[in-house]
Amino acid sequence: MPEYEHNIEVHGLSTWFGKKHILKDITCYFRDNTVTAIMGPSGCGKSTLLRTLNRLNDLVPSFRRKGEVLFKGTDIYGVGTSVYDLRKHIGMVFQKPNPFPMSVFDNVTYGPKLHGVKDEDELNKIVETSLRKAALWDEVKDELQSPAPNLSGGQQQRLCIARALSVDPPVLLMDEPVSALDPISAAKIEELIIELKQDYTIILVTHNVQQAFRVSDQAAFLYLGELVEFDETKRILEAPADSRTEAFITGRIG
Amino acid sequence: MLKNGESESILYRLYALSGLKDALKSRRHFSDYIFKVILGLVIIIIVSPFFLILFQVAGVGFWQVFGTGPGQGLEFLFTFPGAGLEGGIRNAFVGTVELIVVASAVGIPLSVCGAIYINEYTRPGHVRGIVEFTSDVLAGIPSIVFGAFGFVFLVDFLHIGMGIIAGSLTLAFMMIPTILRTTQEALRAVPMSLREASLALGATKWSTTWNVTLRAAFPGVITGFLLAIGRVMGETAPLIFTAGNSLIVPTELAGPGSWIASMPYTIWAYISDPREYLQVKAHGTALALMIMVLAIDLIANLISRKVTRRLV
Repeated sequence: MPEYEHNIEVHGLSTWFGKKHILKDITCYFRDNTVTAIMGPSGCGKSTLLRTLNRLNDLVPSFRRKGEVLFKGTDIYGVGTSVYDLRKHIGMVFQKPNPFPMSVFDNVTYGPKLHGVKDEDELNKIVETSLRKAALWDEVKDELQSPAPNLSGGQQQRLCIARALSVDPPVLLMDEPVSALDPISAAKIEELIIELKQDYTIILVTHNVQQAFRVSDQAAFLYLGELVEFDETKRILEAPADSRTEAFITGRIG
Repeated sequence: MLKNGESESILYRLYALSGLKDALKSRRHFSDYIFKVILGLVIIIIVSPFFLILFQVAGVGFWQVFGTGPGQGLEFLFTFPGAGLEGGIRNAFVGTVELIVVASAVGIPLSVCGAIYINEYTRPGHVRGIVEFTSDVLAGIPSIVFGAFGFVFLVDFLHIGMGIIAGSLTLAFMMIPTILRTTQEALRAVPMSLREASLALGATKWSTTWNVTLRAAFPGVITGFLLAIGRVMGETAPLIFTAGNSLIVPTELAGPGSWIASMPYTIWAYISDPREYLQVKAHGTALALMIMVLAIDLIANLISRKVTRRLV
């Protein structure tokens, strides 16, 4: 029995960009092998919360933070934590598909190569497993060497998922991964998310209540930087305990 | 009535083709037409210097570069200067190539690294503003000032002496602002989310910059190299006091043995001479230089297009 309960736990997290207080004293945890949806209207801090989990907010010079984010029981902002190792273990998929300007193959091997995989056979194997997991293998197996930006939007996003999976992270962060896609591609990726949760802890930021309902097991509702509700998705959507949650679900705020 | 197209005179057809037929329909049609004509004339004025220059240079120098007589054609490019019609401009041809290669070898890495530092490692603010302002000013400084600076600083103060080192370093100084700014613009155009995707995979900043950002910016970066090389290739002024001149190619790195000829300098020297055959040689050199710049342009375009097709 490990001494930590979940892969990722957040304790009393507050963040600021400059003087602007973004997240206010958030405490939650993300259960393993489930999809946790982070919902809320625009500007409520969903993305900030997500990007705090893999320290991508460190890029913003005015970013400040109080509180703890524990990954497997260790504070990721603590002394001696290598941000590069951390990000190897916490993958991320972005809102807009952002494949690198390289071939499909090189996109998937980029991560493993960074972390020292050099063996040709092993790289080939990683490419195949990652693309299979992202449900893209059958579509691109004959054109692995063609430029990734030539793929369609939905394929590009699945490639980005494959790229994130290539370094085998236990946790996958997804920042509105389907909002820039057409409905059919979006549906494919939603299916994929449900499939992936068997092996990964998935944290999904979404603007879309229906999507949270379809995909997620537990949900966090953020409003103006406060964690308003945090529970099973079904419970929150069927019987919201807070009037703000209800207003969001019914479309009165958003 | 006449049947259409049967007995319309040529004059009438020209009249219709010129658009005057429509233009005379009303005052508004007419003023619209006038503006079209004015803009067309402006374009003719804009492009005519290029053709006039080409006409002038090629008119006098064409046979020097493409002929087969003594001192013409390949012999012109690949033999050292000789007496009278004999001999060519091998000293200047090789000299220009060597100067450009050394200047690029110094100038390109420096300015690319500088652009990376400024764009990727600093925040917008005073430091970045100062560097951008300085390089914009540097890019506009007349080349003779670079020449004077090269002479005073490199040749005299640092005791490098005239020759290939001082000449190509002066050219490198001239290249730096152009490449710095174009590289920076190209880097700035790379979307932030591409960098984030790399960082989110656990890449270091350096590896992100080298493998992703610079790669995505590559076509723009290449264009910067091309602009800078094209600019300094035809410069005489920076070389007058710094490179010296020579009838052979440099054999040493310092002292008179390192003096080096260049094509622009040779053009200047020959065209200042009243002898007819030297005038012809000057034009031949000018034509060869124009062709070289054009070739570099084409090659760079090809590379950038190929890379773009492979990447985007």
